[in-house]
Amino acid sequence: MTASQVLRKIFLVDLLKGLALTFRYQHPKEIYTEQYPLQRPQVAERYRGAPRLNVNPETNETLCIACDLCALACPEHLIVVSSERNPNTRRKELTNFTYDLSRCMFCGLCEDACPTDALELTQDFELASYTRDGLIWDRKTLEEGPEPTVYKK
Amino acid sequence: MQSFLEYLKSNVTPGQAGDPLWALIYILIIFGGVSLVVMSMNWLERKALAHMQVRLGPMRVGPHGLLQPIADAIKLFIKEDIIPEGADKLVFWLAPVVIVIAAFTVYIVVPFGPTHAVTDMNIGLLFMLGVASLATLGVIMAGWASNSHYPLLGSLRSSAQMVSYEIAMGMAVVSAVLMTSFAGGSGFLGEIYGTGGANPAGGTLSMIGIVRAQEAQHIWFVFKFFPLGLIAFFVFAVAMVAETNRTPFDLPEAESELTAGFHTEYSGLRWSLFMLGEYAAMVAVSSIAVTLWLGGWLRPFSSWHGPVITLDSYWQGGAVDFVFSLFPALLFFFLALVGFLGVVRMPKHPLFRVQTWGLAAFALVLGGIGVVLLAPPVRDRVQDIFWFTAKVAVFMYLYIWYRGTFPRYRFDQLMRLGWKFMIPTGIAVLIATALVGVLA
Repeated sequence: MTASQVLRKIFLVDLLKGLALTFRYQHPKEIYTEQYPLQRPQVAERYRGAPRLNVNPETNETLCIACDLCALACPEHLIVVSSERNPNTRRKELTNFTYDLSRCMFCGLCEDACPTDALELTQDFELASYTRDGLIWDRKTLEEGPEPTVYKK
Repeated sequence: MQSFLEYLKSNVTPGQAGDPLWALIYILIIFGGVSLVVMSMNWLERKALAHMQVRLGPMRVGPHGLLQPIADAIKLFIKEDIIPEGADKLVFWLAPVVIVIAAFTVYIVVPFGPTHAVTDMNIGLLFMLGVASLATLGVIMAGWASNSHYPLLGSLRSSAQMVSYEIAMGMAVVSAVLMTSFAGGSGFLGEIYGTGGANPAGGTLSMIGIVRAQEAQHIWFVFKFFPLGLIAFFVFAVAMVAETNRTPFDLPEAESELTAGFHTEYSGLRWSLFMLGEYAAMVAVSSIAVTLWLGGWLRPFSSWHGPVITLDSYWQGGAVDFVFSLFPALLFFFLALVGFLGVVRMPKHPLFRVQTWGLAAFALVLGGIGVVLLAPPVRDRVQDIFWFTAKVAVFMYLYIWYRGTFPRYRFDQLMRLGWKFMIPTGIAVLIATALVGVLA
């Protein structure tokens, strides 16, 4: 051992360095923990979470043209688009849209396939449900978001 | 009644006055105070440790988790109390009791101030070390009575550890006791201390006498015969951590190897008695260190004193005394300010409303205590307790700090440190102190 190493050992330099490090970390700005239910975490910008079927904010009409491209793009075949042709305008109109979240792997291919930006995977990550049925979202849930379950006694 | 009130005007401890009623009051105050300190230490440790690990710590029960210790205590009270099937019931029951009694009996001689001690024994220090080591017996009893392998291993480790560190501790302590008999010390006990059973010409083992010696020699013993006092203090400070089974020497309760060591089989209230005993012992050994080396209740720069130090004029003093006597009140004002800042910075969420008001009330209480401490009679009577407590608080923070920083020693490393470094250093310091004291 060299002299400097001996001195290091006698004056406990390494221990003091460690103490200084933990002391510095006590500063409140270093805290990394979030208080989750009260403090919303910032998820990544490209995070893919709960699906949403967008509506035109002015007319409140769905943006979906019932082209079925999302259902075709889905590797799990979990999207079912049902539509009927309007006899007056000769256009396909969406009647129902089911999305089975229990099988979804959030790959985002449906979102990419959508020509009108109607289907979108949002940043919402709270998807827990007490039943399997609760994970199969219909058109209403997709447009307005899932509603909290109310339990009766 | 007459003699009860008379005591307030006297300048002796209840033990010296022979007043059992006041002794009882002192004991109750100390018991309550130490229990309160243990509870707040529980919160502080979790909080400080969390911040060192970049976490928040308890946040939910009360503002910043301030009521968490109370919630924990209620939980422990209503928990099932399990005694293992093959356990030795009597010894199992006795072990936590022994630990708590050993931890609390020590406080009889702890001098919180020149008159603020239950009694002043002429063998105070010896008594304190002796009773404090009884805790080892409780640990061994707990490990043996549990009839389980982890507790047994834990208590074996604990006994080996405590026996080897007790020696180093003793050597360091003796060198401090030796210092009481040196330069400037001769006859001081007769002059300012009077009775107490100590030999007026030589050194003393009395806790109050040791602080008086530092007062008379105008130096804290850490700085005496530099660096001898410092080294003895260092040896004691390390041995003290090992004595109380705290990290980095927490082998008897190493959770990664022995679940919880000697108290693995304990639950509920009995388990909380172990915790109470451990924290009370931490405060007790810290107060030995403070008394022996850091001048006990003496404030910093206590030699810059107003009039000559005699017992009659002890409470009077010059400007320096005045400035230092403001410290307790200022500390409480500072804490109240921190509390109010917390109130302002509290999230403006309806769920936080109760917590915000609670914190504001707590800060107001702290400020109120600060105002009470400003009153001259209280100020003068309380400042020695304040300085003693402040010094002990530094040690308590060090305990938490060590726990947040150092990894646990392996058993052979622990033994090597104890026998090959601590004990030789302790003996060397003792001899060197004796030589320097005689020659100087």
